[in-house]
Amino acid sequence: MRNSLRFTGVGGQGVLLAGEIMAACKIENGGNGLKTATYTSQVRGGPTVVDITLDDDEIRYPYANEGEIDFMLSVANVSYQQFKNGVKPGGIIVVDPNLVTPTDEDRKKWVIHEIPIITIAKEEVGNVITQSVVALAITNTMTNVLPKQSLIDTMLSKVPTKVHAANKLAYELGEKYAKEAMAK
Amino acid sequence: MAREEISTGNELCSMAAIDAGARFFSGYPITPSSEVMHVASDLLPEVGGKFIQMEDEIAGICAALGASMTGVKSYTATSGPGISLKAEQIGFGFIAEIPLVIVNVMRGGPSTGLPTRVSQADIGQAQYPTHGDFASITLCAGSLTECYTQTVRAFNLAEKYMTPVFILLDETIGHMHGKAVIPDLAEVEASVVNRATFDGAPADYKPYDVPMNKPAVLNPMFKGYKYHITGLHHGYEGFPTEDAVQCEFNIERLVGKINTVAKENDGLDDLPDYEEYMMDDAEVCIIAYGSIGLGAYEAVNKLREQGIKAGMFRPILLWPSPAKKIAEIGVKFKDKIFITELNMGQYSKEIERIIKRDDFTTLLKANGRPIAPSEMVAKVKEMM
Repeated sequence: MRNSLRFTGVGGQGVLLAGEIMAACKIENGGNGLKTATYTSQVRGGPTVVDITLDDDEIRYPYANEGEIDFMLSVANVSYQQFKNGVKPGGIIVVDPNLVTPTDEDRKKWVIHEIPIITIAKEEVGNVITQSVVALAITNTMTNVLPKQSLIDTMLSKVPTKVHAANKLAYELGEKYAKEAMAK
Repeated sequence: MAREEISTGNELCSMAAIDAGARFFSGYPITPSSEVMHVASDLLPEVGGKFIQMEDEIAGICAALGASMTGVKSYTATSGPGISLKAEQIGFGFIAEIPLVIVNVMRGGPSTGLPTRVSQADIGQAQYPTHGDFASITLCAGSLTECYTQTVRAFNLAEKYMTPVFILLDETIGHMHGKAVIPDLAEVEASVVNRATFDGAPADYKPYDVPMNKPAVLNPMFKGYKYHITGLHHGYEGFPTEDAVQCEFNIERLVGKINTVAKENDGLDDLPDYEEYMMDDAEVCIIAYGSIGLGAYEAVNKLREQGIKAGMFRPILLWPSPAKKIAEIGVKFKDKIFITELNMGQYSKEIERIIKRDDFTTLLKANGRPIAPSEMVAKVKEMM
């Protein structure tokens, strides 16, 4: 069973790390995971796309196959518009509604959830850098591709100890908002 | 025995260098190769090695060549534009016969090109990176595991043949993050090749007095064995010469120690020079290398699901090319050969040279984007 996930944003938002954590967690659980990032030569602000492929079997081609992506999360409109068509019809898309504006046609084609990811990180966690962990929690809650505690452990192993509490909170909040969005 | 690492190609490459015995890195950062250098700066001091970020690409290779002359295994890392800048000193490494591993993580070119995007545009450059006659050894990693194993191999070939060796990664392989199964350190250490040395009386030492097709025997400098080292044509003790017979012998030996030896022995060592996948009963052969081989592998699987018997041939030793095998493929598959690469056909030309035909199909791309398995599948179906 192959899971194909995509995170899109702009350079500097930390979407790369979230992808690395998911790939690493799948590997630590005995499967295979690959993360690739495509970005521009702009240091900050250029569209960034991170493809995460998870499989119990071997994976060689590391990019998502366009049109086969199960889940996409986007925190920048420029990247959303550029990369949305990789998502399969009926696939799940999560956007930050303060930054991304899906069209009415998009809403017919995909299951779109709106969660204010950046605001949650900035105001409820109190640290905007935790947005990647909020995104991580939303992704895993909606796709259920990885065991929750294992994912949290992998995440904590990759962030500095002094921000462990903030990131744990970010994960719990991400999960809560994802569950609320799915219940709507 | 094997170990598992979760890492990127660039990081694995630098880890391998150090496991293979490298104790010196000098270079200058450039996307998409910089992580090779970052890891060197982290790990080399821990093992008593030296790391220097130099003022530019040229100084980066100069210091690495100098370190190697003292007997220390050395490497540098860059991308295509950096190779262009290092070109003159690469030539010095060839003629003076200095072992050095040069990592090139390929991006789009020419010039500064497409810094963050994938490409295989330096295949021709790796074959002829500088002026003059010489033979290049170039390995191309096609997986995370190979970023490690082929780097180890590059060091061993550099020491065995006394020459700069290129290890090519590309942006995809260099930056992709996942699982690599790599050999245990003890196994790597047991495979290490060290350059030959002369143990006789210093007065009898003539480093370049070696038979045809054999590499020079360069003792580490500052150990009591005096010799001259120069980019000029040189005699047995390394001093400049313009003697016609000597110059002709030098060049024939420089080319022959790699090309003739590879031809006579069907390769430069005992390790595989290529990967074959599903080739036994294949009716169409996909030829791809580096990260494009990752997509080709999945394309073979998809084609077979659709009833088309496809196979993949993926060269690892690009230069000197595995010509004997390529010639066999030319005979077996006739016009059912499909070559796909991220440039305008740089390796296709080598295939054409070997099989002496151009009736193959190609899928070439040079816009900084990878080639998806679905694109390969569509192209192969057009051929059938």
